[in-house]
Amino acid sequence: MTPVIDVRGVHRIYDSGGVPTHALRGVTLQVQRGEFLCIMGPSGSGKSTLMNILGCLDTPTSGTYLLEGLDVSKLDDDELARIRAARIGFVFQSFNLLPRSTVMRNVMLPLLYTDVPRADRERRACEALGAVGLPAEYYDHRSNELSGGQMQRVAIARALVNDPALVLADEPTGNLDSATSEVVMRTFLKMREAGKTVVLITHDAEVATWADRCVHIRDGRLLTDEQERELVARSASRGRGRT
Amino acid sequence: MRLRDLWAETWEALDANRGRSLLTVLGIVIGISAVIAMTALIGGVRQGLMTQMGLDRSRVVNMAVYGSQQIKVEDLDKLQKGMPEYEYITGSAMGSGKVASETKSSDGSITGVASHYFDVTGQKLVKGRLFTTGEDDSASTVVILDQSSARNLFGKGKALGEKVRIQGIEYTVVGILEDGQMSDPKSVNAYVPLHTCVQRVTGYDNVDTVAGMVREGEDIDSAVRQTKEYLTSYYHLTGEDADNLYVSSTKSLIDSFNTVMFGFQLLMTSVASISLVVGGIGIMNMMLTNVTERIREIGLRKALGARRSDITRQFLLESVFLTLAGGAIGIVLGYVGAFALAGVATSVLSSAGGSDGGLSLTITPVIEPMAVLVATGICVLIGVVFGYYPARRAARLDPVESLHYQ
Repeated sequence: MTPVIDVRGVHRIYDSGGVPTHALRGVTLQVQRGEFLCIMGPSGSGKSTLMNILGCLDTPTSGTYLLEGLDVSKLDDDELARIRAARIGFVFQSFNLLPRSTVMRNVMLPLLYTDVPRADRERRACEALGAVGLPAEYYDHRSNELSGGQMQRVAIARALVNDPALVLADEPTGNLDSATSEVVMRTFLKMREAGKTVVLITHDAEVATWADRCVHIRDGRLLTDEQERELVARSASRGRGRT
Repeated sequence: MRLRDLWAETWEALDANRGRSLLTVLGIVIGISAVIAMTALIGGVRQGLMTQMGLDRSRVVNMAVYGSQQIKVEDLDKLQKGMPEYEYITGSAMGSGKVASETKSSDGSITGVASHYFDVTGQKLVKGRLFTTGEDDSASTVVILDQSSARNLFGKGKALGEKVRIQGIEYTVVGILEDGQMSDPKSVNAYVPLHTCVQRVTGYDNVDTVAGMVREGEDIDSAVRQTKEYLTSYYHLTGEDADNLYVSSTKSLIDSFNTVMFGFQLLMTSVASISLVVGGIGIMNMMLTNVTERIREIGLRKALGARRSDITRQFLLESVFLTLAGGAIGIVLGYVGAFALAGVATSVLSSAGGSDGGLSLTITPVIEPMAVLVATGICVLIGVVFGYYPARRAARLDPVESLHYQ
């Protein structure tokens, strides 16, 4: 079966201000349908760059990225936009809801850029909001009237509304307290049970325990769990040796 | 993206910034009002001047023959029969002499007029009546005075029915006429039947001015051409005499008058449209602010699948809607303003003219569908031109950077 994500030997070099920054140095990664993957790494490790490439917001400098078997590494802006509209759902740390719009309109926003007929949009938005467990009385509230946890659930519903192959979440619990975080993480778990592929990016080890599998990224390279443990143990012993 | 969705998004964005949208639109409102008011007013002035100068009686063709041959009084009827394209042909003979009432005496012009003469000059009868055919045929001693002449001869007293003496012969005043455009209000202008003038005043039977009224529906230019041919053969104008012919309509005069007025209109409208450019820059300014303020929203929309064209269209529609709304308000205000200004101008002109007659120009602003259409077109154009740069800037934003923009 074709993996949802098939990344091979991806490099990403930014050429900002004359000094090239090598953000990804040969990343290879497969994610199967229905998998809940967590990507961990400190800031500056390249995890945002990887997330942007996985989300078709950016293209690799070299290497290939097959999304559901389709090579998206050479597509132009508008073609990438179509892919995002049809196959990817985003959940952001800062929710990124349109504050003055209602919950309904926020959830329906991605459908504006698809061919879904108007009549179906409301139904699909209600389904998505039902899946994240937001009570119906909030549907007509403006999104800036909601609590943080409610906002993130609206954002998750928005990510689900176009029935994407892949849901990408970037620090989805970064702005939430631990009780609310748990509610949000349970929502992701439910999505995975419903057959969605979820990729979550975080630096919070506790959040990572919810995932099926975890990869670590350091200096633009992916490490397995074992390699990561080794690395941590080594730096810990170096620390002890010094004292 | 569907048009209806696009429209809903646009409306929501403008509604969210209602105060600023209104202020921005004000520039366009003022610009379009100024342009519309100018066009309407100058159109009104043109109409007024046309009426004033008699140019609206454009079916009049003036004709004259010089040299050894001249048009005689008895020719008028024959010309009328020979040229059926004219509803009538009329003429006048000019003389001068002493005109006197019981109390006053003055040198004046004495004009002998054929029937319909005043239809051609556009002068209207104020009191009394015109001459009858019988009076003309029998060279009766009846006279029509214009208003200032009546005042000069009889002061404030009644003139109609009184007697005046012209070159010693007593005439009865049968009508009072409004003053002509070119007449000197201080002199006396007396009008007598054509035959009376020829027999009693001038003593020779030449007609000094001849004018024909072309039938409605006939082409003026071809009437002029036919008249030239007819007169040439009628008076045997060959050889040296061939050039002693004058046939002209006021149409060419109107054409050149219209060209001048159009140039004037264009000039004034260009001056007024400077404010439109200012308004357009206001729109651009607001749209740029708008884009900067909504960078995160744009980033989000792009991340969720909006293509460049979706973003461009959304921002373009916002600016075009703003300019169109401003234009609609501007067109209404422009016409309201034009009517108000026209009222003021008319009363100022008539009071400045005073009792001398002066300029009694009535200005009625002209509402031209073309002007409304052009104004609307200009609004759309301004919206597109000044909205395009901000819209393109929005469309080209990088979604990743925009999403993290603070």
